[in-house]
Amino acid sequence: MTFQTVLGEARAEGRTLLNEVEAKSLLREAGIAATAATLATTREEAQSQAAAMGFPVVLKVVSPDIAHKSDVGGVKLNLADREAVGQAFDEIMANSKKAEPNARIKGVAVQQMAKQGTEVIVGMTTDPQFGPVMMFGLGGIMVEVLKDVSFRLVPVTDRDAGQMIDEIKGRPILQGVRGQPAADLAALKSTIVKVSEFVEAHPEVRELDLNPVFAYPDGALAVDARIVVSEG
Amino acid sequence: MAVPGHRLDRMFNPKVVAVIGDKGPGYMWLRNNMPLKEKGGTLYSVQLDEKEIPGIEALGVKNFTSMKEIPEEIDYAVVAVPRQVSPYVLKDLIENGAHGAGFFTSGFAETGEELGVQLQQKLTEMAREAGFNLVGPNCMGLYLPKAGVRFNDGAPVADDGRIGFLSQSGTHGIMFTLVANALGMHLSRCASFGNAIVLDVSDYLDYLMRDDETDVAGMYVEGVKNGRKFFETLREACKRKPVVVWKGGQTEAGARATMSHTGSLAAPQSVWDGMMRQCGAITTNNLDETTDVMQLLTKAKRPTGPRMALLAQTGGQSVSITDAFAKAGLQVPRFSDQTYASLGEFFNVIGGSYQNPLDMAGTIQGKMETLERILKIVDDDPNVDAMAIELSAMFAARQWKKDPATLDATLDALKAHSARSPKPLLVVLHPAHEAEYVGSIGPKFHERQIPLFQSFERAAAAMNRVLAYHANR
Repeated sequence: MTFQTVLGEARAEGRTLLNEVEAKSLLREAGIAATAATLATTREEAQSQAAAMGFPVVLKVVSPDIAHKSDVGGVKLNLADREAVGQAFDEIMANSKKAEPNARIKGVAVQQMAKQGTEVIVGMTTDPQFGPVMMFGLGGIMVEVLKDVSFRLVPVTDRDAGQMIDEIKGRPILQGVRGQPAADLAALKSTIVKVSEFVEAHPEVRELDLNPVFAYPDGALAVDARIVVSEG
Repeated sequence: MAVPGHRLDRMFNPKVVAVIGDKGPGYMWLRNNMPLKEKGGTLYSVQLDEKEIPGIEALGVKNFTSMKEIPEEIDYAVVAVPRQVSPYVLKDLIENGAHGAGFFTSGFAETGEELGVQLQQKLTEMAREAGFNLVGPNCMGLYLPKAGVRFNDGAPVADDGRIGFLSQSGTHGIMFTLVANALGMHLSRCASFGNAIVLDVSDYLDYLMRDDETDVAGMYVEGVKNGRKFFETLREACKRKPVVVWKGGQTEAGARATMSHTGSLAAPQSVWDGMMRQCGAITTNNLDETTDVMQLLTKAKRPTGPRMALLAQTGGQSVSITDAFAKAGLQVPRFSDQTYASLGEFFNVIGGSYQNPLDMAGTIQGKMETLERILKIVDDDPNVDAMAIELSAMFAARQWKKDPATLDATLDALKAHSARSPKPLLVVLHPAHEAEYVGSIGPKFHERQIPLFQSFERAAAAMNRVLAYHANR
């Protein structure tokens, strides 16, 4: 999937929000570590994709009309084998149709189940005066309650990205607390810089959220991705 | 010329200045600009009201009743006419080939009235089409001391200014100018740019960063028209010289105030903060922080590290100065063994201490050679990057008043030390109960270019800002 293809499809469907399969494949193409995600339209496709990807996997409903997938029973985690995947596929389709009878359901995203890491957020918004602005913060309550985030304008250099990480109050958490290993800061910096490069290369991107990104002792992985593009 | 070929160069280095529409009895704008004549420039007046002309001519200024009669190109004009007339004045200025004009005239978009908005739109279109350097409107215009152009008659016209300042507010522009001058810091150029309909802060900053007569740039800004352009200009400017940005409207309530003051749209302060740090700007929150950091940038040697030697007069102050600098993020290291050995030869440890911080009044006892000896020993310590010394009004004011030569001797010693040492020396003098007297001796510090701070905290904050600037380059 190239950016132009995805953009064209979204615009043809009158969407500004890319689905997770689209978003992640674009990110992975741009060299940003994100969990693999493929679109399965049948039970069998889901099973074979999961097997090719390697268990365990996550299944999530893909529908432009369903914003909160978990609320409708559209997400199944930690599926360990073909049988579990098949069953989860059927349940997700049934739950989603039941909860949102008029929703257009494209299928189910099959994704790698990532092992837990320290949750951080990497995002981009478009400011009316300053244009694209990158944001970094720790995930969960740190960003939601404490607004512990830092900002830089695109383009963000490696040094800028380092300062964004160093500026947040929760910075010691990335150093490793309570026996947790330290996060791979180079990988986090690289994620921030690559997202900056990605949005710089594609001015159609108006908003981008990687929430969460799991920070590991070796590497960082975007687990959820949301991309909003401008109207055509 | 300071930046040959720059769009703003003629306007920023004017020889021919016209004041348009000034009125008696004060003739404020003509009086502001009288120094231009003493500096060899030409000052014209344009005023067609016959009642005003005798007063203008009494000032020794040649008046014309029409701009068309002015026999040469105007480098800079001050426009103080009623708003309805301003488009006609702009038309004449463009026909004259004038190189720029500050529009003191107000009553435009900032009023929110339809007529004001329309007139501003008209001026904008005319000036843009002609590529005319319109400063403002709704502003105090330019202060160019070297040329003798002023926006306030209290401002000096020194030729040696090295600080450039830009202000979206007329008051802050004038006040910075006056306070900086009172602190012994002269300006190279200052622009109060008001509604910024043609030239925005980025355009002026582009000039200041290239200007070889400006070593340090500062600004008061509430918002910018083109954020990307500002970001790119500021980033480039900070690579060339220190830029101090005092951003107004940092709180939600403050941002609402900027909306009605200059109509500035507010990007979130957190985005501004990130952007300014990204550029490497020095950020301040008020006038005092701005002048404090300017003092350190222009009067002191460049700091190379955070390790402070702190020289207090007494025990309690030695604790307070240490807390202030440590809280600001600076280090207060142990001295080297050599330093302890040298100080130990003569230091009075009863009621004193020569750890870092020093508690030294009991040792100095008013003897200049002892002060100089301490300064020299501490300054040579390899663990020390910079020094801050407390002077005490509580102890010394009586002595200084009785025998002013003792104050002069102290300041001469500090000045001589600073001239010799590669390390910055900051001086703190709290006004204590002697505010009036301490205020009166300020000029003695400022004429010697001694960076003077009113509190430990202010000195420490300025030091931290300057260090961060250099670390961020």
